[in-house]
Amino acid sequence: MVNNNQGLAMVLVLLFGGTLFYLGTDGFQVFTAEGARVNQLMEEKPQFPEITLEDSEGQSYLSSTFKGKYMLVTFFYTACSTVCPQLERNMERVYERIPKTYLGEDIVFLSISFDTDRDGPATLRSYQKYFKSDGETWRMARIPNPVELESLLDVFGVIVIPDENGNFAHNSAFYLVNQKGALTEVMDYTKIEEAADTIVELLEQGGGKK
Amino acid sequence: MKQSLIGLLLFIVLSLPPVVTLLESIMIIHMHMQMPLLVIAGALFGRYFQIHFPHFWEKWNGNGIPGITLFVIIAVYWSIPRTMDDALTYPSVEVFKFMSLFLLAGVPLYDSWKRLNVTLKNSVFILFTILFLSMGWLYLNVTQQLCNNYLLIDQITLGWGSAAMGVCIAIYLLYTTFTDPSQYE
Repeated sequence: MVNNNQGLAMVLVLLFGGTLFYLGTDGFQVFTAEGARVNQLMEEKPQFPEITLEDSEGQSYLSSTFKGKYMLVTFFYTACSTVCPQLERNMERVYERIPKTYLGEDIVFLSISFDTDRDGPATLRSYQKYFKSDGETWRMARIPNPVELESLLDVFGVIVIPDENGNFAHNSAFYLVNQKGALTEVMDYTKIEEAADTIVELLEQGGGKK
Repeated sequence: MKQSLIGLLLFIVLSLPPVVTLLESIMIIHMHMQMPLLVIAGALFGRYFQIHFPHFWEKWNGNGIPGITLFVIIAVYWSIPRTMDDALTYPSVEVFKFMSLFLLAGVPLYDSWKRLNVTLKNSVFILFTILFLSMGWLYLNVTQQLCNNYLLIDQITLGWGSAAMGVCIAIYLLYTTFTDPSQYE
């Protein structure tokens, strides 16, 4: 026979469980820390910090050079043989879907390497040949100052774990920064069409104002 | 009393910072060794509560169902990729992980298990078979990194480990279904 106490105990246990799962998954929304990170970024819309970039052409400039333009940013390193080539290939496919008139004028593609030691301008230049990166409307760059690199990775929530073989594991996404330098979208890098559509729509809206 | 002491001692050893770091450095050990050991420590320690508060358990957990439900909730909760990640990132979540696996999973498991009838015991086994097999399937098939703190290869290892665990429980279930253990006793 089930007595009342056991029924009550059961209700309490289930209530506790429900609350625990609700809180632990932000209301049954987020089951991975990555999901939680993306949600938080979209809410906070952090500013792209002021940093110095050094690109494949060997030019150095401040990130604020791109103020007034959208920036599509990815993080990678050239020695990577797993996610990065796919990430950059997908970025290329987004790049192809953006009408030419916007490229360089209203939006800049920027692939940032976090392997500062190995990815100098020469390495980046040879790497960008594999993609349609022209070094102008789609630039590949590194951040020579480790403190600045750390601050950018931190603001964008990019977690980089070095492994024993000189490789890095890292979470990947398309980061869209708006004309004012605020992060507006964090997009799934595997959903190319979705990302391209979002960008084109934003560009069309912003195109008239410019 | 000796049993509870061993449980407490095991819990203390598991909480030592070097042990924590070691066990959590590898994903599969974090999930299939550290967490179960915490539950086992709690189950051993559960003897203490049973001796000192027999009426409490009899009154609230007479048929064992509330207790085993609590155990299942805690166990499932810590198999969500995010909670595992958060335990590594936030000390407060880590403390909750230790306390909940010890007190809210291990202790009620000890008290509830012998109260459950065979059907319920098998249901719990079936539930964990499904949980482990689906976790294995998930970790083996998702090419994305589910946990930010671990490498993809760790994730695949965990996937195989979980699947193997699921298969083992399934074999056990088949074995008990098609053999009659009392014949051998």
